[in-house]
Amino acid sequence: MLIQIQRKNSKSQNVSYPTGIIITVLMIAIIFFSAVPVQAESIIAICGGTVLTMTGQTIRNGTVLIRGEKIEAVGADVKIPKGANIINATGKYVLPGIIDAMTYYGIKAFDLNDFTNPITPQNRIIQAFYPFGDDFFRGKGGIKPDKEILCGGVTTIYIAPGNRQVIGGQGAVVKTYGKNFDSMILCEPASIDMAIGDSPKTRQSVKFPYVSSSASQAERSILVSSPTRMAQAALIRKALIRAQEFDHSLQAYEKKSEAERKEVQKPKRDLNMEALVKLLHKEIPARIEASLVDDIRTAIRIADEFDFDLIIDSGIGAYKLRDLLAEKNIPVVLGPTSHPFIKGGEASRTSELSQIMDEGNAAMLSEVGVKIAIASFASGGLFGDAVQGKWLLLEAGLATGFGLPDEEALKAVTINAAEILGVNDRVGSLEPGKDADVIILDGPPLSIKTWVEHVFINGELVYTREKSK
Amino acid sequence: MKSFKLFTLLVLVILLIVSIQLLAGQTDNSVALRGAIVHTAIGPPIKNVTILVKNGKITAIGKDVNIPRSVKTIDVRGKIIIPGLIDIHSHLGGGEDINEWPQPIGPENRALDALHLEISDWMEAVKGGVTTIVTGPGSATRISGQSITIKTFGDDLEKRILKKCGEVKMAVQGKNLSYLPLIKSTFLKAREYMEAWEKYESGNKKDSPPRRDLGLEAIVKVLKGEERVRCHIHYASDIIQFLKLKDEFGFDLTFEHSTEAYKIADEVAKRNVGCVCFPLVMQIGLSEDQMRGNAILHKAGVKIAMHTDALVSQQKWLRLCAALALRYGLPEDEALRSITINPAEMAKISNRVGSIEKGKDADLVVLDGPWYELKTRVDMVFIDGRLVYDRVQN
Repeated sequence: MLIQIQRKNSKSQNVSYPTGIIITVLMIAIIFFSAVPVQAESIIAICGGTVLTMTGQTIRNGTVLIRGEKIEAVGADVKIPKGANIINATGKYVLPGIIDAMTYYGIKAFDLNDFTNPITPQNRIIQAFYPFGDDFFRGKGGIKPDKEILCGGVTTIYIAPGNRQVIGGQGAVVKTYGKNFDSMILCEPASIDMAIGDSPKTRQSVKFPYVSSSASQAERSILVSSPTRMAQAALIRKALIRAQEFDHSLQAYEKKSEAERKEVQKPKRDLNMEALVKLLHKEIPARIEASLVDDIRTAIRIADEFDFDLIIDSGIGAYKLRDLLAEKNIPVVLGPTSHPFIKGGEASRTSELSQIMDEGNAAMLSEVGVKIAIASFASGGLFGDAVQGKWLLLEAGLATGFGLPDEEALKAVTINAAEILGVNDRVGSLEPGKDADVIILDGPPLSIKTWVEHVFINGELVYTREKSK
Repeated sequence: MKSFKLFTLLVLVILLIVSIQLLAGQTDNSVALRGAIVHTAIGPPIKNVTILVKNGKITAIGKDVNIPRSVKTIDVRGKIIIPGLIDIHSHLGGGEDINEWPQPIGPENRALDALHLEISDWMEAVKGGVTTIVTGPGSATRISGQSITIKTFGDDLEKRILKKCGEVKMAVQGKNLSYLPLIKSTFLKAREYMEAWEKYESGNKKDSPPRRDLGLEAIVKVLKGEERVRCHIHYASDIIQFLKLKDEFGFDLTFEHSTEAYKIADEVAKRNVGCVCFPLVMQIGLSEDQMRGNAILHKAGVKIAMHTDALVSQQKWLRLCAALALRYGLPEDEALRSITINPAEMAKISNRVGSIEKGKDADLVVLDGPWYELKTRVDMVFIDGRLVYDRVQN
């Protein structure tokens, strides 16, 4: 809209101003542009590969044309403009960048959870996101392309607060590389991150050293113990009821006339409540980690009570509720096929979990039309940062052995993940107008022997595999 | 009258012998698998092979095996057969009983005494083609006890067990300077204990015998080279120091996890120490350099085996661990060996399992595609010649 207005203005100015001025302006412009060379938009044509667009047909011997930061054209008969940098992808596979719909990547372990309080909707994970390389206090600075995640073709990730709180805070969708911090962010806040079940219970040893003095005696006793499933649900309900009240008082204030407003006090700002109001207004969804079947039921129950959009995370038992999830159009972000349980807790070994765990989960959900993503849930590992996302294609490949069609497996780490994250207008498929996040593979995408050779983010080549090794 | 009695007895004896033979005939589970590509783990793959199984053992393997009429034949054309997989480092069945914390030194603890056999995890292991595991104590204490080597399926527990106890699990991780001295003191104590017993026995047992110590007895077996030490270890610095301990006491050793062994591969190879290696499927965020460690160790001449560390990752994905090692540069045949014959040799059970050879236990896995590929499924699993999992029937 802004651009259009400016154009109109300049047109009318051209008409009304004398030609002398126009010539002067033009001359100044010529001098200016010759002094500062315009960075021509780079044009890249990836030719000859098998192009898996993820939204249309697979194109054999296809071309993906990138202009600047965007995809300009995809197809079998794309005309390649002069000056294009041609990349020969004959015999290769070309895909959109992989999307990991659930990670804790780039977050230091001590920044994941706020153990002082199980309910912190105001906390924003983006404020702990650290894409400046591994070494604190060292390095040259700037955003570092990290080969440990790029080598898996991962270009977009969802980052979340930890799962040891009932409402951990606000998640974000970011790219794995950008020219600067802000250009990495695709969506923030992307959702309110919650957890129901064993995860918020597992930190038995952690005492809450600080409990808000405004909390009631009953609340404090809940806070200092690890909340049961009953308390978890009650805490979420309580927070959402406070948010409803906050919303009502705000709306009531705004309906008042200027004169009336002077009579009453303006409702105080409250970052916690403001975050939850976004959820109640369906501006953002809730992502609730729930693994056991009954935990998923609880999540759906609360979402029904308060009428907000819900995404189930983990969902190990989701296949048992697949018809309900399909009917309610609730997407599920599944953990890795090879270890679907949530890491770091003995909860992963509860007998109920191992009884319901089924590698066919993804296939069964997908079959009845539940939208699924397969994600790494990678948290800070034993010997390094959370980089398991680089194996997402392998995890998707494993699911195909248990009945998930190849195409659906690939969608679960590209376009479906993008849709669940609400960023499918920018990423997730190879379509004109979308961000030029493109990866080139040296073989079929779901084989153990296949490697990612090149990764483009925003049209920039950010990773190339070292061949010698 | 007497002769009649004798005759009756004779008839009864003959009947008994015949019935025993008949019964034996019913339980011998003879079966022939015909037409598959067989990876024996000790040579290149052979096409269109017949494997004959009798009484739980492989009795013949080859292209021109004569199949007796009475033997049931299973057509496995187009399939791949590999040996039953061996996980040399697991905690399956251990439940919450694997770490005797805070007892730092407990070589007398035996995994068998804590083994939960009635849980579904064992069948899940079978479904993944894992037929033998070494399962045992954890790594929260310095010397945590003795592991057990056991098949994942079998009605008779005694027959199922390949090795009841003996192998001693230790754990070092560069967090505490007192870890190695604690272990060294135990070796010294065990040496004194061994000498005391030798003295007592060589003195014609005239003196009163030394007081028995179950823990030291276990370490004495290690000192005598009868049992191996399984040492949980991550850092290259710890690995160097533990190798020096081995140099001093001369015990048989395998490293478990061996995270940074690749950084000093030559030191490890020189001492002929086997390494049980990562990854635990895709559970841990190992770097690309670490993932290539297995290939480096192999190149240096170190014998390597993969493990799942179940239940850290799931027992059934052992095959995937080797597939990942293959992806990161380990040759294909060596990758398969790392979950079959290599762990069998390291656990000293290669006379029974680990490869497809005449005379070995008939532990076989039938696959519907290349053993390393993601899409490939386990179709059938035989343990001791018995079909214990059939995906089509399930």
